[in-house]
Amino acid sequence: MTQAVPEQSKKKYDLGFARWVYDNIDGGDKLSMCMQCGACSGSCPIGVQMDHGPRKLFMMIRAGMKEAVLSSNTLWNCTKCYRCVVRCPRGVPVTYILGSLGTKAVELGYADKEDTRSFARSFWWSAATFGRTDERLVTARYYFSFGLVEGIKKGLANLKIALGMVKTGRMHIGAPHKIKDTRGLQAILAKAQEIESRAGKG
Amino acid sequence: MMTDVEKKKFTYYPGCSSQGSARHLDESLRAIAPELGLELEELDDWNCCGASVGHVAGGSLPNLSLTGRNLANAAKQGKQDVLTGCAACYLNTHAGNEKIKKDVALRGRVNEALAAADTSYDDDLQVRHACEVIVNEVGLDKIRERVTNPLTGLKVASYVGCQTVRPFANTDGGGSYDTYDDPEFLDNFTQACGAEAVDFEVKTACCGGSVSVMNPEKTLHLIKRILDAAKASDADVIATPCPLCQTNVEMYQDAINKEFGTDFNIPVVFYSQLMAVAFGLDKEKAAALQRNTIRSEKLENMAKA
Amino acid sequence: MSERKPGVYLCRGCGIGDAVSVDELEKVASSEFKVPTCRQHDVMCSSEGVAMIARDVADGTVNQAIIGACSQRVMTDRFQFGDTQVVRANLREQVVWSQPAGEEDTQMLAADNIRMGIAQAAKINAPVAAVHEDFSRTILVVGGGVAGLNAAREAARTGYDVILLERTDRLGGWAIQWSKRMPHRPPYRDLQENDVGLLVAEVEADDAIRVLTNATVSKTEGGPGKFTVTISHGGTEQIERIGAIVVATGWRPYDPNNLTHLGYGASPDVVTGVELESILAAGAAKRKSDDQPVRNIAFIQCAGSRDPNHLPYCSSICCGVSIKQALQVVQNDPDASAYIIFDELRTPGTAEEFYRQAQEAGVIFMKGKVNSVEGDLTVTYHDDLIGEDIPLMGLDMVVLATGMVPNSTNPDQPDPEKGAEQLLNDIDPRAPLDFVSEAAEPETVEAQLTTELPTTSDAGASPIGGGSILNLQYRQGPHIPILADGFSDSHYICFPYETRRTGIYTCGPVRRPMDMAETAEDAAGAVLKAIQSLNNASQGAAVHPRVGDLSFPKFGLDICTKCRRCTVECPFGAIDEDENDFPILTESRCRRCGTCMGACPVRTISFDNYNVAMVSDMIKAVEVPDEFDEKPRILVLACENDAYPALDMAGVNRHQYSPYIRTIPVRCLGSVSMLWISTALESGFDGIMLMGCKSGDDYQCHFVKGSGIAKERMSKVGETLKSMMLEEDRIVVEEVSIADSGSIPKVINTFAERIEELGYNPFKGF
Repeated sequence: MTQAVPEQSKKKYDLGFARWVYDNIDGGDKLSMCMQCGACSGSCPIGVQMDHGPRKLFMMIRAGMKEAVLSSNTLWNCTKCYRCVVRCPRGVPVTYILGSLGTKAVELGYADKEDTRSFARSFWWSAATFGRTDERLVTARYYFSFGLVEGIKKGLANLKIALGMVKTGRMHIGAPHKIKDTRGLQAILAKAQEIESRAGKG
Repeated sequence: MMTDVEKKKFTYYPGCSSQGSARHLDESLRAIAPELGLELEELDDWNCCGASVGHVAGGSLPNLSLTGRNLANAAKQGKQDVLTGCAACYLNTHAGNEKIKKDVALRGRVNEALAAADTSYDDDLQVRHACEVIVNEVGLDKIRERVTNPLTGLKVASYVGCQTVRPFANTDGGGSYDTYDDPEFLDNFTQACGAEAVDFEVKTACCGGSVSVMNPEKTLHLIKRILDAAKASDADVIATPCPLCQTNVEMYQDAINKEFGTDFNIPVVFYSQLMAVAFGLDKEKAAALQRNTIRSEKLENMAKA
Repeated sequence: MSERKPGVYLCRGCGIGDAVSVDELEKVASSEFKVPTCRQHDVMCSSEGVAMIARDVADGTVNQAIIGACSQRVMTDRFQFGDTQVVRANLREQVVWSQPAGEEDTQMLAADNIRMGIAQAAKINAPVAAVHEDFSRTILVVGGGVAGLNAAREAARTGYDVILLERTDRLGGWAIQWSKRMPHRPPYRDLQENDVGLLVAEVEADDAIRVLTNATVSKTEGGPGKFTVTISHGGTEQIERIGAIVVATGWRPYDPNNLTHLGYGASPDVVTGVELESILAAGAAKRKSDDQPVRNIAFIQCAGSRDPNHLPYCSSICCGVSIKQALQVVQNDPDASAYIIFDELRTPGTAEEFYRQAQEAGVIFMKGKVNSVEGDLTVTYHDDLIGEDIPLMGLDMVVLATGMVPNSTNPDQPDPEKGAEQLLNDIDPRAPLDFVSEAAEPETVEAQLTTELPTTSDAGASPIGGGSILNLQYRQGPHIPILADGFSDSHYICFPYETRRTGIYTCGPVRRPMDMAETAEDAAGAVLKAIQSLNNASQGAAVHPRVGDLSFPKFGLDICTKCRRCTVECPFGAIDEDENDFPILTESRCRRCGTCMGACPVRTISFDNYNVAMVSDMIKAVEVPDEFDEKPRILVLACENDAYPALDMAGVNRHQYSPYIRTIPVRCLGSVSMLWISTALESGFDGIMLMGCKSGDDYQCHFVKGSGIAKERMSKVGETLKSMMLEEDRIVVEEVSIADSGSIPKVINTFAERIEELGYNPFKGF
C-alpha cells in the first residue's frame, strides 16, 4: 500500500489531521461538506488503480489517518480529468484537494520515491530556468533521474516516438527556447517561495 | 457577431507545447484566426503556465506566480481578453486569474512576488479558451460561410477530452458554452466543415493526461478505449482540441498495439487543422498536416492548396 | 316510524341505462315489492333529478328515498332531503362499471342490489340522538411540559377553558432546562434561544388556563362532553367537569446505567446527551472529572436505541440533538473538534440544513458501530466507509445519545390495585382474545413482552408498571391502552392523536418521539380533536371515523345473558357493567362500530339505522338461483372504511370481476353477526367473504380490533360448518386496503373459482 516510508515515526491516527487539512489545503474548507456519496470515486477513470479512491481518502482524512493518506498513490495517479469536480453534489473541489495534498506530501517528505516527484522536479527546473518547458530536456532529465541505465532503457524504448517527433518538427533541436527576462522570472519565483514559507498557504 | 471588416483582438497565449509537440495547433490556429475574424497578438514574453505538475515541485504560490507574470504582461498590452488554444494553459491561467481576482489577500501575495521584477497585476482581464471564443464570438454560421472546400465524406470522431470543458465550460466565468457529459461544440465544428461527425460516446473519456507522459503503463488502457471507439465508428480521423490528447492518443498507438495485439493507425488531428483545410488554405503552411506522425491521406487529398 | 312510504328512484346516467335495462329494474320495485312510487331519470344527481325526488317528499308521497345510482360514498350532499331517510343501491361502481354491459348476470346483479335496498328501507329507522344538555367546555391537559403548555395555550386561544395539571412543582418539563434549541425557523441553520420560559409565562398569565402543580388525576369517569375528573392536588381532592382530555405527559430519558458496554460508569466524562445539556446550560463544555475545557468530544448515536436489548425503536431527535450540541461546542471554542459516530444519521426535513451547517463548522461525521469505549475515553468503532476499526484517541468527553421512554404510566406511582394486568394484556396484539393465531406462538409473544421492553430504574421492575395517568373508572381498566413499545395505541395513519379511549387525546413524546417544534404542532392537532370531540358529543354525534353519526347501540336487556362479550370486546371501553352486571353504555365514548352488535350471541344489541335484522333481511332479499341455473351466489360483507371503497375504486378503474357476488356494506367486520352467516347459508349462498381492513399489531382496522375479532370468530365457525357437512373454506376473511383496487378482482375471482370447485351449497332451495 505505501510507497514512501517516512523517516520519523508518526502516529497512525492523528485526530488533528482533518482540521489541518481543512485549514491548509487548497479547497480543504469545502472538504468538510463531503457527504461520502462516492460519485467522485465512481467517476474516476483511474480510480481502481488508486490505493484508495477519493471518497475513501477523504474519510481517512476525517479519521485522522495522516500517514496512510499522505503516502497513498491516490495523489499521484490522478490524471486531472476534473470529472469528480463537476459531478460532486456538494461542490467539493476534489482534484484541487488531491493536488494540494500532493504538494504537501512532497514538502513533508512522503513522496521521495514517487515518479511524479521526479517528473515534477525536471519540469520545474525547465520552467524556472528558461521560463518555458522544453519537452525534450524535461523528458531526458526525468528518464535519467532513475539512473543512467534506466534512463538509457527508457530513452531507447521511446526512440521511435522521439524520431517521429523530430521528423515532423515537433521536437525542438538546438538551444532551448527562453524568455527574455529569465532573471526577472527567477526573482519572482524566489520571492514567492520566501512568502510561502513564512505564510503557510500560497 | 463580427462583420468582415472588424476583427476582434485578443492577446494570444500559445503555451510551451506550441514550440514543440503541439506546433501544429499553434500554426493552424494562427492561420484560421483571420478567417474567423480574430486578431491574435502574441502575449509578450509569455512564460510556462505550470501545467499539471508545476505546483508539486515548485510550490503553490510560485506556481501561481507564473500565471501572475503572464497576466501582468497581458495587462500591459491592453484590456482585451487573453485567448489560448491549450487546455492546460487555459485551466491554469483562467483558474489562477479567478483566484487572484476573488481573494484580495492572495492577490497581495502574488503582487508582492511580482514586485521582485517590478511588475504587478491589478487588472480585471478575462482568460478564454479558443473553442469558447469560436462558439460564443464567431458562431457556426460564420464557420460555414468560410468553408469553400467542404470535407465531404470525411468521418471524424470528435474527441473533446477533459480539460477543455471541465471544469469551466458550464460556468459563467467560462462562457457557459457547453455541457460536461455530452458537449457538442466539437461535433458542430466538424459538421460545419462539411465532414461527418460519427457516433463517439467516449468523447469525454480521459487520455491519461500527464500520467500518460510519466507512466504510460498505467494509462494505455484508457487510450485504447478511445481508439476502440473510433475504430468501431469507422472514423477516418480523430479530431481533438487539446495538445496533450493529440500527442498521447497519437504517439502511444504502437505501444498499445504491442501490448494488446491491436493494429491501430488512426490519424489524430486538431479541429483547427480541419478548419484550415475546409477554408481552402495551404495544407502545410496553414493546416500543418505534415506535423502529424500518423498522416491522413484522405484529409490531405481533400486539401485544395 | 309511522307509515313507511318508500320511493324508488333509478338513474340511467353514467352508463347505467346503456348497460342494464332500467325498465326491468323498475319492474322489480313495482311488481315484486309493490313500491307505489318508482321513477327514472337520465341524470338523477342533476337539479331536475333531485327536484323530482324533492317534490315527492314535499307533497308527502314519499318519506323514504331508495336511490339506485352511484355508490353511497358519493353525491351525499345532493341526495339530502331534510329528515327523509335515504337508502342507496349501488348500480354504477359495483355493477355497470365492473361488469359487461347487456349481460344477463349484470342485470341480475343490478336487480338484487335494488332488492337489498328496498329490504333495507323496510327496516331502517332514523336515529335519534342521545343529547346531554349539561356538557362541559373545559379541556383538561395532563402534563406541564412543552406539549401540555402548547396544548393549553392553543385551547385557550380557541376560546375554551383549560385546566393544566403538572405532577412536579413547576412547569416547563425537561425542555425548560435546555441550553439552546434546534432551529425551527428558516434558514434552519442556526441554534436558537430556548424560549420555553416565555411559554410558561404566557400560560401562567392566561386567565382561561388554571394551572395546578403537584397535581395528578385520581379518578376519571363519564365520557367526552361530560367527564368527571377527580384531581388530587396538594393533599386535597377536587372534582371537575371536563369536556375532553389531552394527555401530554411526555417522556423520560432512557436509563444510561444499562449502557456500560458504551462506557457509562467507566468514567465521569462519559455522559448522556441530557447530562451534557445541563453542562452546556451552565456555560462552556467542561469535563466533569477535572473541570478542564472539552476540546475533543465524540457523540455516539443510537446509544441503547434500535437495539433489541434496549429500546427497540428510534427516538428520531437524538441525531438532531447531537448535531446541536456538537455545534455548540465547536462554536464556543474554535479549537474544539467534535465527532459524531452514527449508524444511520436521521435528519428529516429541514434538519438537513442543520446537518450541513454542522459540516461547514467542521463537525466530523463517521459511519459505523462502536466496538468499545475505554476508561481513558478511547472510542473504537468500525468505520463502514473505510472498512477498518478506527480508534479515536485523545477525547475529553464521550456523549451517549440516548432515547426517549414515554410516560404512558406515572413512574412515581405504584401499579394500581386492579387493572394493571389489563394494560399488560392490551399490548399483546391478540388480546383480549385467547385464540391461537397462526402467526405467533404464545411463548414468542410472552418472550417478546419480557425482552423487548426496556427496564428503567425509576419505574420499578417493569416500565409498564407505574401508576395510571387518568385512572379511568372503566370496566376495561384504568389505563389508556399502549403498544408493545410503550407508546399509546392509535391508528397512526388516519387518527394520530386518538387513543383507544374516546375523548382522550395524546400529543407530544408520549405518543411518539419528537422534538419541540413538532410537539407544538402536535399539541395543536390534539386540541383540535379534543374540541371536535366535546362539540360532537354535545350533539350526540360520534367523532372519528363515523363523524356525525347520531345512532348508538341500544341494549335489549330483557334477553341479555350477561355473557360480557360486548363489554370485553368493545375496542374503546365504551361499555361498563352496572351493579347487576348488565352492560351499560356511555354513548359519547362509543364510536358506533357495532363490534358489540356482532359479539352478542342473542343479538339483543342494535342501532336505529343498522341492526342484525336489517342486514339479515337484505341477505334474504337476494334472489338465489337454484343449482340448475349454474350461477353461484357469494355474499361479500365489505367494511365501509377500506373494503367498500376499494370495490368502488375497482369500478372506477373499470376492473371486471365475477358477477356472482352480492355486496353489503358493513360498518366494521367486528359488527358482523353470526346470524348473517347462517342466514346466508340457509338462503342458498354458496360462499361468504368478509372483506375488511388489516388486523394484527400493525393493524389498519379503523376501529382497531374489529377486523381481528371477526377473524377470530370466523376461525371458530369452522367446527359449526363441519357439523353441517359444509366445507370450511366456504367462508373466508380477506384483508384489503383502499389501495388494493387493482388486486381485488383477483381476490374475488379466486374465491369464486374455489366455490365452483367446492360445488353448490346443498342447502340451496330448501
